[in-house]
Formats: sequence, C-alpha cells, structure tokens
Amino acid sequence: MDSIKGVLAEELENSLRLLKQREGELARLPKGSLVAKKIKGGIFHYLALREGGKVRFHYKGKLAAAEVEKYQEAKKLRKQYAGHVSELKRQVKFLERALHERKRKRAA
Amino acid sequence: MKEKESAPPDLCLEVLRRLDRAGVLEELVLVGSWCTFFYNQHFQGGARLSALRTRDMDFLVRRPPRFKKDVRVGELLKDLGFLPDLKDEGCVSLSHPDLIIDFLIAERGRGDATTVAIPALGIRAQPLRFLDFLSSETIVVNYRSFDIRLPHPANFALHKLIVSGRRPKVEKAEKDRLQGVELVDALFKLGRGDELSSPTNRNPVQSHQHGPTWFERFLV
Repeated sequence: MDSIKGVLAEELENSLRLLKQREGELARLPKGSLVAKKIKGGIFHYLALREGGKVRFHYKGKLAAAEVEKYQEAKKLRKQYAGHVSELKRQVKFLERALHERKRKRAA
Repeated sequence: MKEKESAPPDLCLEVLRRLDRAGVLEELVLVGSWCTFFYNQHFQGGARLSALRTRDMDFLVRRPPRFKKDVRVGELLKDLGFLPDLKDEGCVSLSHPDLIIDFLIAERGRGDATTVAIPALGIRAQPLRFLDFLSSETIVVNYRSFDIRLPHPANFALHKLIVSGRRPKVEKAEKDRLQGVELVDALFKLGRGDELSSPTNRNPVQSHQHGPTWFERFLV
C-alpha cells in the first residue's frame, strides 16, 4: 500500500512541477491574436488583445511573413499549453484528493 | 494515470515510434518502471507484472553512446507538446503532462554527478550509479512493429533489489523491492530462475567491478 501512496505522491510532485513550468511558458508567449485586414489592396495586421474585459485591436501594419508565422505559432502553442494547464490542474485535484482521503482513513 | 494495462497510451507509443523512425531507439535501453509493461509482452502472458508506475519514461544511453545519426530529440517531439526541462547545463528531460522522458547514463566512479552531454541527441543525460549493470545484457521486445531494447529481466530484478536498499524514500524503496521480487517470482514461475544465478554476466561483482559493497547490498 505504501508503494501506491508513494507513486501518487511522486505523481503529485510531478504534476505540480509541470503545472508551474507550463504556466510559466504560457505567460512568456506573446499575447493576442493577429488579424489581417485587406485595405485598398494591401494586407495590414492588427493584434487583437483582451484588455479589461474588452477586445482591443492594436495596429501592427504590414508584417513580414516570419513575424506573422511567429504569432501563429504562439497562438498554436498557447492553445496547447492552456490544454496542458487544464489537464495538470485536473491531475493535481485528483491526486490531492486521493492522498488526503488516505490520510483521513488512516487517522480514523 | 489513464492508461489501461492492455496498451500503453498513444503518446507513449508515438514517442517510441518517432525514436524508432529516427533510428535512435535501437541504441537506447528502456529502463524504469515502464519496462514491466514490455516484460509482460516478453513473457507472453506466462506471468503478470504489476502495472504500478509513474509517468516517467527513462531511457538509458549506453557508454560510449553509439548513435548512427544526429537527432534533436527535443525538436522531434516538440509538436507533441514536450517541453525541455532546461537546467544550467542544458536539457536533461522532456516533459508532457502525461509523460516525462528522462535520459540516464551509467555513472563512472563516485562524484561523477554532473550531467553528460549526448550531442547526437541534443540532450544531457543524468549519470546514476549501477546503470551499466542494466545495459550489460539486454533483450529486444518487438511491440507493434518496433523493437524496444530492455535490460535482461534478471538484471532488472537484481538492480531493483539493490537500489531499493539505497533509496532515502521508504515508498520508493518499497516500490523497487516489490518490482524486483515480482520479477524474480515471474522468472521462477516461467522456469527461468537459473537466469538469476548464471555465473558471470549476472554477477555484478565479477562483471562490473563495483567491488564487494555492490553485491553485499544485495545480500543484506
């Protein structure tokens, strides 16, 4: 039984460490979503950001393909990391509950 | 945590598949508790080992590393959501919410505690004691069209029993001991008990010059 508890405790430690790591990565990614608008035949970019509950568009002008790709990649990663954060929070909740439950039973 | 014993999770298989396609899997030895799943395959249902394991997937890099190609493992697995765990000296593991991949290497002598660069993989491996005992004799298990190299079950079992005595955490020591005992039991059930005592290659004292303390730890 101790080994099961040990595995759960180790996994809780892992989940907490990974959660911290992913949240850090998420915070480091450039924020916002790039929106392209065609104006008089030219493509101009705006960065859509949520600020104080409102979506605001910041003019970025004409951007190089590499810059556009950087924002697209960040958007993709943000989605992926947000999913990871959510999964890790679920794991932490489950593991904490499992370990506390065992402690409670032992105390009883 | 979600996987069933009948199959490893898709992510684990995808990692193995990519390492295999990149031509590096054959040079790595899978160690750690994931081995028990593949030993169950190796025993073909003749014995059933416990599915108790963490999400760590440990790969042992043999000394000297013999990779035929240079593969950036971090890049290879990046799109699956793996992130490198960067320390001052470089990447020592790759982590995903469901799987943590660690690279290990046998420690040579006491104090060889810093990580070892594996340029062919673009990572650094963590040296640990007695791992050369695991890579000294290996078996290959074919699983879903790729070959996975594992320590010989007898070596794995003896190694687990030895390291269980060195663990500072009681729970980890208990898990190692249980895995070792379970595997020894399985070998005897399968009529392969003699493999545990075959003279030279399984005797850690003779084959690896770890000195008497290594073997004594097992005997105590």
